[in-house]
Amino acid sequence: MNRRITHILDQHARIVTMQRVFVSNGLLGAGSPTTQSTKTSDTLSVDPSTASILEPISSTRTAGKTSSSDVSACSAFRPDGPLPLDNHHVCNEAPSSDLCGNNDLAPTIFTPTGLLSESQDNGFPPISAILAQNSNRKELETPATSNVLSHARTPLRATTYDGRTLYIKRKPRVVELRKSNSSTPQASKLLEVPIHRLMEECSTSSATRASASYVPDKQHPKKHVHGEHTLWVERYRPRRFTELLGNERVARDVLAWVKQWDWCVFGKQRKKRARERDDNYNAEDEYHRPREKLLLLSGPPGLGKTTLAHVVAAHAGYEVMEINASDARSAQIIDERIRPTLEAGSTVGSSKPVLIVIDEIDGATGGGDNSTGFVQKLVSLTFNKPNKQGKNRNKKNSRPLLRPIICICNDPNSHSLAALRPHARQVRYMRPADVHTVRRLREICELEELSVNTRALSVLVSIAKGDLRGCLNTLQFIKSRNEDVTEPLIRRATAGMKEGDSTTTTVLKEIFTPISRRRIKDLATEDDDGVRYVSRLSRAIEVLNNPASVANGCFAQYPHYRRHEADMSRYRQVNDWLVAFDTLSSAMYADGEFELHGYLPHLLIPFHPLCREQRSERMERDTSDWDNVQLTRANGEIYKSLADGIRTSSKTTGAYGHLITGQVLVLEFAPYLNRIISPPLRPVNSQIIKPAERALVSRLVEIMISLGLRFVQERADDGQLVYRLDPPIDVFVTYDGKRAADIATSRYAVRHLIAAEIDAALAANPVDVAPKGGNSRRSGYSSKKILVEQPDDGANSLEVVDKDDPPQLDEDQLRVHKRPRPADQVEEKAPVDFFGRPIAAPRKVSGPGAARSAEALTAFRTTYRYFEGNSAAVRKPVKVASFL
Amino acid sequence: MSLWVDRFRPKTLDDLHYHHDLSTRLKALAASEDFPHMLFYGPSGAGKKTRINCTLRQLFGSGVEKLKIDQRVFVSPSRRKLEINLVQSSYHIEITPSEAGSYDRVVVQDLLKEIAQTQQVDLGAKHRFKVVVINEADLLSRDAQAALRRTMEKYMSNLRLILCANSTSRLIAPIRSRCLLVRVAAPTTQEMQVVMEHVAKKMKFDIPPEASLQIAEDAAGNMRKALLVFEALKMQSPDLSGPLHIAKPDWETYCHKVADLIVQEQSPARVMEVRAKFYELLSHCIPPTVILKTVAEKVVQKVDEALKADIMHWAAFYELRMRLGSKKIYHLEAWVVKVMCLYKHFTYNFDMSEFD
Repeated sequence: MNRRITHILDQHARIVTMQRVFVSNGLLGAGSPTTQSTKTSDTLSVDPSTASILEPISSTRTAGKTSSSDVSACSAFRPDGPLPLDNHHVCNEAPSSDLCGNNDLAPTIFTPTGLLSESQDNGFPPISAILAQNSNRKELETPATSNVLSHARTPLRATTYDGRTLYIKRKPRVVELRKSNSSTPQASKLLEVPIHRLMEECSTSSATRASASYVPDKQHPKKHVHGEHTLWVERYRPRRFTELLGNERVARDVLAWVKQWDWCVFGKQRKKRARERDDNYNAEDEYHRPREKLLLLSGPPGLGKTTLAHVVAAHAGYEVMEINASDARSAQIIDERIRPTLEAGSTVGSSKPVLIVIDEIDGATGGGDNSTGFVQKLVSLTFNKPNKQGKNRNKKNSRPLLRPIICICNDPNSHSLAALRPHARQVRYMRPADVHTVRRLREICELEELSVNTRALSVLVSIAKGDLRGCLNTLQFIKSRNEDVTEPLIRRATAGMKEGDSTTTTVLKEIFTPISRRRIKDLATEDDDGVRYVSRLSRAIEVLNNPASVANGCFAQYPHYRRHEADMSRYRQVNDWLVAFDTLSSAMYADGEFELHGYLPHLLIPFHPLCREQRSERMERDTSDWDNVQLTRANGEIYKSLADGIRTSSKTTGAYGHLITGQVLVLEFAPYLNRIISPPLRPVNSQIIKPAERALVSRLVEIMISLGLRFVQERADDGQLVYRLDPPIDVFVTYDGKRAADIATSRYAVRHLIAAEIDAALAANPVDVAPKGGNSRRSGYSSKKILVEQPDDGANSLEVVDKDDPPQLDEDQLRVHKRPRPADQVEEKAPVDFFGRPIAAPRKVSGPGAARSAEALTAFRTTYRYFEGNSAAVRKPVKVASFL
Repeated sequence: MSLWVDRFRPKTLDDLHYHHDLSTRLKALAASEDFPHMLFYGPSGAGKKTRINCTLRQLFGSGVEKLKIDQRVFVSPSRRKLEINLVQSSYHIEITPSEAGSYDRVVVQDLLKEIAQTQQVDLGAKHRFKVVVINEADLLSRDAQAALRRTMEKYMSNLRLILCANSTSRLIAPIRSRCLLVRVAAPTTQEMQVVMEHVAKKMKFDIPPEASLQIAEDAAGNMRKALLVFEALKMQSPDLSGPLHIAKPDWETYCHKVADLIVQEQSPARVMEVRAKFYELLSHCIPPTVILKTVAEKVVQKVDEALKADIMHWAAFYELRMRLGSKKIYHLEAWVVKVMCLYKHFTYNFDMSEFD
């Protein structure tokens, strides 16, 4: 008997293990594990005696499943004292042999998570969650075992190996677990029937019943709860961690992250396992929170991200508070709802700690640079240091974040999440392999009595791109019409599904290549030879909703067409269509007649008959048009800065106004200006320059100053110093990367010389540089002329002395103005009038000419009059004496 | 100081070197009390702006030379901000509405109303009205032109308009009929030579007559261009002796290269090559109509007589389409393909007829 039981246990353990393998992979549908368990329970309930012997096993199973060591499994088992001795032995031996084997098996499947065992340690819901699996079975059992329930309230008596009796108090939570064990006294009766035979009978009967295809309604209790009118998506939503479909690693990552909060939330010491010492563990944190306090779960729609978050939260023992797009998500929500909840630690009326799930966070307001937005605020929530001392203590937001927050979005690279990304642990949810999705769909279809073939399902999954929600909705839709699921039906039902993700490239490919066999099949069109393309292509272009980009692609693509005629008539036609397209579209935009939009695709369809051919190379995205747009914009900016520079440089005169408006600037001024400012100069020292060249240089300097042009020193990529023209108007004589041939290349030394001269010229007139920031290089004041009236020569000897034009000074002026200047500059700061010009009065002139010039100067009666400029604004008080 | 083209610009009507009869007419107009709205038109570089400025000076005296430059921000109906540069004195204001692109109507409406509704403050002014100079009037959109119509009549007491345009063809008839049309023709070669000699004299050097002749002929009536070329040449080779090499603007040289490409070979590969060149030109902000015109003119020079009319016809055709459309490159390329097609047809037929 002993052996028999061992055998049975062994056998059952194997079954259990197999089932475990099934469940833990998470591949089974929501329905299937439950179905399995209900099936088992059905068979068990047929024979209560069998059930009662099997109960310990199943409980051991649960224990073994959740405990990490044999000892704990045994100790969990042993308190059920009232077992007969031999049974006792079984319990001592069987676990050590078979259950150990079970345990050996189970960890290999289970330990990858390593989390279940922890949840057991924490004594948190996982057990009840797992028990929930058996709940319906319990319901069935309750009448049979109701008498035993009284045992539950009394302390347990247990006998050790030595025969000592122990009384053990029951923990209230374990009651449910134990009550089935207390039915073991009946076990002795059971042994009269060979159990393995019973088991076989059971399995065969259940198999026959299953093959006779139960009415799923009866088999699937959830269905009764939800009724006929719930969405399948709701009905088959995974409720447990093990039911989750798809990427197990993702699920485990999420769970692991949530588990990292355990120390903080539940106050439990984490197990010091080497494996868990991951980089996210933050040793400094006094609350032992993970380093990244937010979790960003991203992935395409319909894969079950929200479900995952909920399931994981429930699994780890949290109450979920969800904030999704249906709620207002402004920054104040954080203050009004999230922060109070976080600080309370749990939702109202719940004993469980709260876990906040923020769904569809990429739709939240105020992402990006908005500092008052939701995302910013959320991130700032995580910053709050648990600062016990210091000034922040009394502040409102000084409380640390002590509860996990999971954010869910579709696109992790969304602009609005930029602020969130660095502070969140990112988990990407990838679509599971189609096989798994198909399998689950198949199970659901079986439950829903929908006859379906795998091929149709795999087509559906591939069209939906793994979107399980979409698949289920489609299936339910088909079911509602009481049809069989066939491939064409699927294609018809999903007609709109696939269009969402067509790109310009795919549309172009459709235009420029003849329709393939597969595509014909995909579209399920009657048109087999690809003759009727108009509606197909216009639909494709319309769905993309960007005919301009398609036109651009067509424009880039058509010259690659190989079979052109000698007279290029085909090209001509193609271009005519493009021109027509452009004319129509700009007429549409100009006149605001957007009804024309529907006609635009038709102007691009002719590319198909004209240019379609089978091509081997991949169609590449042509960026030259976009590059051109960018470059044009950049050059436009250069023109603008040139015009602005000229405008500000000649502020008062309004000069050049006729040069910088309209096309003149581009067509005439820019090319010739480049020639004017690049005279052939030899790179020599400014001291030994020839007089003719000196004149040329000074002229060049004047022109460049008056136009607001500069040479700016920069370091090139290779580390060499270069002088760059600023604004870089030399791009306008550079075509195809080559400068015009007739313009002498200006060498570094020459530019250096000119730049130095410009600086010197500006330094001589500092006011010129100063006004209003850097871009106004030269104020209008400097272009004013001083009128020197010489009474000796009478009224008509007015001479215009232009300070900016030294070469024009004649000898007389030179004597008066030029000579004293160096002396002034050397000896002291020259007295400067408010225009910044050194005052010409030769105070410290010495030498032979001194007396004469001083005499001449005193003899002069000098008046000043301003010929240009509209402002007489005085910037600092100046005495008239300083002018004289 | 500044460039010659700016420095030696005549300031008064008396200083002008050519079109003396026009100057006397303008003087007479300025003297009379009922100064009309005016429309100056003529080719680029003929001296329209110069004459406008001289007329203003004649009207208001030297006060118009006290200019200040402003930036005004206008808000378009779609709440876009438009920055417009204004040049104004206390007597006149100068705007280039085409800077605002398609929103020029807003600029014209807002600004003109604002000016028209304020009276002349300066009691010492010679005239009661202010003058608004509108540059590039031929680039005004139809809406903007329509907006001008009523304003021109309604605020006649406070406001005169001086429009400056390259041609009247793009101005609507109601505007033209409200203005006194003044055509400023391009100067002749001799007149241009006179101006250049004047400049040379002022700058105290001599310009050889053959050099001035060559420059003037190259400039083809564009005084501004002639002076720019003159100064560029002076900078490059100070003595101006010997045969001058007058550089064409780079974009023009490049356009000629494109024309060569089109005539040399007609193939899809060549179409792509030409397209790359067009992109290069467009990215240098060369207006596409100018590109098409320049290339077409050059192509016409190189092809057979029988083709010339056709090529020009299609150039005109696609130029119109280009103005209607928005993607300029499509139209440029369509024209190129059309020309290639014509050329192929022509040579093809030609060859066959020789065989027969």
